[in-house]
Amino acid sequence: MEKSKSKFVGVRITDEQASILSRLQKDSRLSKTEILIKGLTFLDEFYSLGLDRKPLSDELGALEKEAFHYAAELRRVRKREEAISEMVQELHNIDEIVDKYHCDKSALIQILLEIQAKTYWLPKHTLMWVSERLNVPMSQIRQITTFYKAFHLKPRGKHLVRVCLGTACHVRGGPRILEHTERALGIKASETTEDMKFTLESVNCLGCCALGPVIVVDGDYHGRISSSQVEKILSSYT
Amino acid sequence: MTKLESSSDLEKLRKQIVSKRDPKRLCITVCSGTGCQASGCEKVSAAFQEELKNQKLSDKVEVRRTGCHGFCEKGPIVILHPEEICYLQVKPKDASEVVSQTLKEGKIIDRLLYTDPTTGKRIAHESDIPFYKNQKRLILDNNRKIDPKNIDDYIALNGYSALAKALSGISPEQVLEEVKKANLRGRGGAGFPAGRKWETTRNAPGEIKYVIVNCDEGDPGAYMDRSLMEGNPHLVIEGLIIGAYAIGSHEGFIYVRQEYPLAVENTELSIKQAEEYGLLGKNILGSGFDFKITIHRGAGAFVSGESSALMSAIEGKVGEPRPKYVHSSVKGVWDRPSNLNNVETWATVPFIINNGADWFTSIGTEGSKGTKIFSLVGKVSNTGLVEVSMGMTLRDIIEKIGGGIPNGKKFKAVQTGGPSGGCIPEKLLDFPVDFDELSKAGSMMGSGGMIVMDEDTCMVDTAKYFANFLADESCGKCVPCREGLKQICRKLGAISNGKGTEDDIKDLEDLAEVLRDASLCSLGQTAANPVLSTIRHFRDEYEAHIRGACPAKVCKSLVTYYIDPEKCLACGLCLKNCSVGAISGKKGIIHIIDQEKCIKCDTCFDVCPEKFNAVTKISGEPVPKAVPQGTEIKKKKR
Repeated sequence: MEKSKSKFVGVRITDEQASILSRLQKDSRLSKTEILIKGLTFLDEFYSLGLDRKPLSDELGALEKEAFHYAAELRRVRKREEAISEMVQELHNIDEIVDKYHCDKSALIQILLEIQAKTYWLPKHTLMWVSERLNVPMSQIRQITTFYKAFHLKPRGKHLVRVCLGTACHVRGGPRILEHTERALGIKASETTEDMKFTLESVNCLGCCALGPVIVVDGDYHGRISSSQVEKILSSYT
Repeated sequence: MTKLESSSDLEKLRKQIVSKRDPKRLCITVCSGTGCQASGCEKVSAAFQEELKNQKLSDKVEVRRTGCHGFCEKGPIVILHPEEICYLQVKPKDASEVVSQTLKEGKIIDRLLYTDPTTGKRIAHESDIPFYKNQKRLILDNNRKIDPKNIDDYIALNGYSALAKALSGISPEQVLEEVKKANLRGRGGAGFPAGRKWETTRNAPGEIKYVIVNCDEGDPGAYMDRSLMEGNPHLVIEGLIIGAYAIGSHEGFIYVRQEYPLAVENTELSIKQAEEYGLLGKNILGSGFDFKITIHRGAGAFVSGESSALMSAIEGKVGEPRPKYVHSSVKGVWDRPSNLNNVETWATVPFIINNGADWFTSIGTEGSKGTKIFSLVGKVSNTGLVEVSMGMTLRDIIEKIGGGIPNGKKFKAVQTGGPSGGCIPEKLLDFPVDFDELSKAGSMMGSGGMIVMDEDTCMVDTAKYFANFLADESCGKCVPCREGLKQICRKLGAISNGKGTEDDIKDLEDLAEVLRDASLCSLGQTAANPVLSTIRHFRDEYEAHIRGACPAKVCKSLVTYYIDPEKCLACGLCLKNCSVGAISGKKGIIHIIDQEKCIKCDTCFDVCPEKFNAVTKISGEPVPKAVPQGTEIKKKKR
């Protein structure tokens, strides 16, 4: 089969599929993205009726694959229709944010930040969707999400533990607090515990240097702590 | 809100706001900067509101949340107006006492006042506290008076009067001249004259020009920009509009780190309020000048604070610097002339316009005019934000304002200029704070972080800390920075592990030279400063590490923990807290550390009661042989 140059959500599609898509667009007066969301919703209903998967199109397949991957990433046993319906909801949320910024490519970082504020991390399907909506290649989105520290491409635990390693905390023993926290949780900085309860991060200055060394759990500041207090603080979060 | 059509409208509004406010009205202000929030100020202000309701005073007394006061060490800070009684470290449970005693009966609660550590005297007013008395608070002053979420508070205190003055009668050229005459130097670090930068952008070809506020404060240990942006956003906005007027720009950006959510929130709100009053938008104050501001949140990259990197981040791209054959003031955001200044620089502009360049140049030193805000942190008694006239000596700042080093320890060094700066030893403490003088001392002004270090801080470890920080934050675009920093980290790691050689110091100096000369942006060019300044002033510490001793007993590989059998009273605290079970002993039996098992986590040292001081750290000396297992403690008379 001859390779087509058309792409949809980062997936190469055949000329035939591209023509079906354009016809669909013309007939239903829906945008490409609306069709895809509709398709995904339909897929969800399809499953809930107990029907088996029939190949719809490559792009739906790609998104569906992401749904499974997403469910697996969450490390939760989930039915696939649940995962899909959650994804559809998320894609709708992304649309709202993207529309707020009038599909402006230069707002890419702001859009990603805003999406993450809602979902706490950026699953691949959200990135694919942003790429589709803004017409920015996935490679560029990957570049940005891996360059900036604020973006998380892995799911986050229920509680976020941040240990400050700013200079002021460093001279007051911040590194020892971090080591102790790592030992107490059994993970290294920027990892998440197996039970998805804690994500540990080290940060370079939270700007409350008077309280150093500082550890922040879900926005609660614990200042002037010594390493022997770490366990007690962590145990108060369940 | 009604749109203000002219400067006289603004004056009318100001009079109206002031007339509505009774200066004698009772008011409780609670500092709500991030430092005080971390200390629980939200609960304190809620407790006051609750208490006023209970005591039926809600309509007579106002509770106001203000910006950062700077004295973060003693937060949450509560001030009772109109007497301006200052209570420190107030807890929610103190609210009822404060309301019933001080507000109703006029009695001052001594326990909540500041106590002078030397004289033991209690001080009731903020301005009399030594921490504040020795400062010159120009830019930070209004932070404690206004609610950053209320534009009327800012207008009541003469806010936007400099803008009105500039727009009604002064030409953009005159504004530019005034700033040039004032010799305002950029507060972000390098100290480049702001007026000259403005002029370049003004004269650069192109209709569309941008002005940008850099609030990507990445230096660990520095938080003055955040406090201004959170506590007095209108001051920065006013400065930005004046700058835009002088430059001929109609669009501005405020780049704020997303790690500063309160700053983002307050700035967004301030822009909205200013737009509603017509202080932003089309035809500002009827002058025909249009200006709008967009907020751009940074996504967490230290290098994005560099001007060309920041501009590329605004374009929605990766925040990497570019070579500056053409300055960003000529070709910046979307290749258009863009003038970028730091928060503090913009915040100084309204003062210069209101009071004139002559007034401004009367403050400070020959080369550095005005005031500078520093965040005085680390091993110092009074941690907080301090604003002083340029030219004050480092010693005065640390001793008179900072109250010296706590716990009777000895001063070792002060680190200024963040990761691009250097460590200044005791013998250079009489250097004045001044852009040029600090460079002579091998450091730099930087954005104003001032981290005090005492005898327990290891200088090799400090150099390693900054090198690791920068290696982590290097964008990797140019080889000298990416690879050079990696090698510097490796060498410093070896030295701090006791595996260094004399040649390593020489190698570090060579690497530093390459970094300085060949890096693309100032991150790499200045990255070696912490290493070079510590080698220059603390070479003996490097040499001690090479011999196998860490004088400050910080570097793990060179430290051994040991329990002094003469001092151990077998209290069991260290034994109970040791997470790896390396300590043996029981009641009445001297505790012993098994050096094989010990992971040097410092817990035993930390929990051993001060009155015993039995757990000690040994470095560079042979560890005494442990007493035999089961040796009984010597019964001591206590």
